[in-house]
Amino acid sequence: MRNILAFAKKELGLYFTTPLAWVMFALWTLIGSFFFLSLVSQYQQMSMIYGQFQNPQVMERMNFQDMVLLPLIVNMGVILVFLVPFLTMRLISEERKQKTMELLLSTPVTSTQIVLGKYFAAVALMFVAVALLLVYPLTLELGSTASAVDWPTVLSGLFGLFLLGCAFMAIGIFFSSITESQMVASLAALTTNLITWIVGWRAGDAEGAMKEVVTYLASTQHIVSFAKGNVDAKDLVYFLSVCVLGLFLTHRAVEAQRWA
Amino acid sequence: MSDAVIQVQNLTKRYRELTAVDHVNFEVQPGEILGFLGPNGAGKSTTMRMLTGCLPATEGTAKVCGFDVFEQPLEVKRKIGYLPENPPVYLDMKVRGYLKFVAELKGVPRKKLKDEVDRVAQAASVAHMMDRLIGNVSKGYKQRVGLAQALLGDPDVLVLDEPTVGLDPGQIIEVRNLIKSLAGKHTIILSTHILQEVKAICRKVLIISSGKVVAYDDLEALESKYKTADRVASLEEIFLTLTGEGSAALQPAAGAPVAHVA
Repeated sequence: MRNILAFAKKELGLYFTTPLAWVMFALWTLIGSFFFLSLVSQYQQMSMIYGQFQNPQVMERMNFQDMVLLPLIVNMGVILVFLVPFLTMRLISEERKQKTMELLLSTPVTSTQIVLGKYFAAVALMFVAVALLLVYPLTLELGSTASAVDWPTVLSGLFGLFLLGCAFMAIGIFFSSITESQMVASLAALTTNLITWIVGWRAGDAEGAMKEVVTYLASTQHIVSFAKGNVDAKDLVYFLSVCVLGLFLTHRAVEAQRWA
Repeated sequence: MSDAVIQVQNLTKRYRELTAVDHVNFEVQPGEILGFLGPNGAGKSTTMRMLTGCLPATEGTAKVCGFDVFEQPLEVKRKIGYLPENPPVYLDMKVRGYLKFVAELKGVPRKKLKDEVDRVAQAASVAHMMDRLIGNVSKGYKQRVGLAQALLGDPDVLVLDEPTVGLDPGQIIEVRNLIKSLAGKHTIILSTHILQEVKAICRKVLIISSGKVVAYDDLEALESKYKTADRVASLEEIFLTLTGEGSAALQPAAGAPVAHVA
């Protein structure tokens, strides 16, 4: 456990001394704010227009959760597809490139400790990034007289986003473990993330069992139900299996170096 | 069973057709400094990497403090401090942070961690560089940080792969004295191709060429073995003869005196 913490501490330190983490947070909040502001103003216009008709069915859907939170979370999920590979590309490939892997191989640490320590650092970064998004519903809550924000839904949506980030991190750390080149690692991770995203677009064309499979594989589908406030075992299992698979393969790749 | 700290038997490493290390045998007694010599690409680093558990062997066994390197790697790694060929430092970390990190990995008790880091920094003369980024210090200092890292946790065995590369003459002498002062308490294997260094530090030498051990003896014994009629052979000459690199062709002074060919 101590070694895992030592790795996590070191990687977190490197995230912040190389300005990677700061750049990431800046980009993340910049894009997040852009989405949030445009979604809120859209929501405002829509409520003005539909408010005149007083159609109960439409008014039902005129709420913060459906109009702002859901699209915001889905959009931020797309941003993660592109952002996460740059956060994970360095994690293990750098150790091989800089020959510091010899240090790790010659000290009494196990491959599991190396992989978990590094992964936890990445996950901690993801946690902070997602927590930063709390600012948006908070501004609405503080700025309005009547509470429009359904906090359980907000938290479940952010939790889904966090899990998606963790899954992408696991994919990224795996690609980082099989190459010395950060460029290759990030491109391979980006492609894989993108595939899990776009595979869902064709789900409508498929039929029967195929449709089920494709829908299940698409990371989009899973995050949507979180953003709607449903924490479903099916979605939890999806994200956790991607994390476990990614970490398992990473462990194998690191272990393989001991026997190369 | 001998009481040797390091026992290497038939250690072999093959990469497809290339045999990098070929059935190497040697033992190092407690407190001894073994000079590990050989031309570039002779298999010095490969042997050291196998000994420290960084690289699996194709054949043979290696034991450190009674533990088999390949069967009980974690126990062995607790006993060894290793300075690889390239100092394994993180350029984006500060010296202090780096040494603390390595101390954690080596399981130095939390309470003693700070003192231990200060101790090795003092020993490797990097104490005044503790708050500098490793990427910003000179090659010699990177090397010394690497050396400091190897000393962390006061390991029984030190495996140093060319510890004085990149140092200036003053630093070389400092590091040599440091290594000499460590002998007795620690068992040390030191690789280098600076022959004066071996003379200055080691009593025993092992010369390896194309993966094979060509000489393994006390320095004095080796010198007298290759003594010619008119003079004592220098280590340089012995080295060149044994590794087949030079034109100097010394013959062992066995029986009749051998004509000295320049």
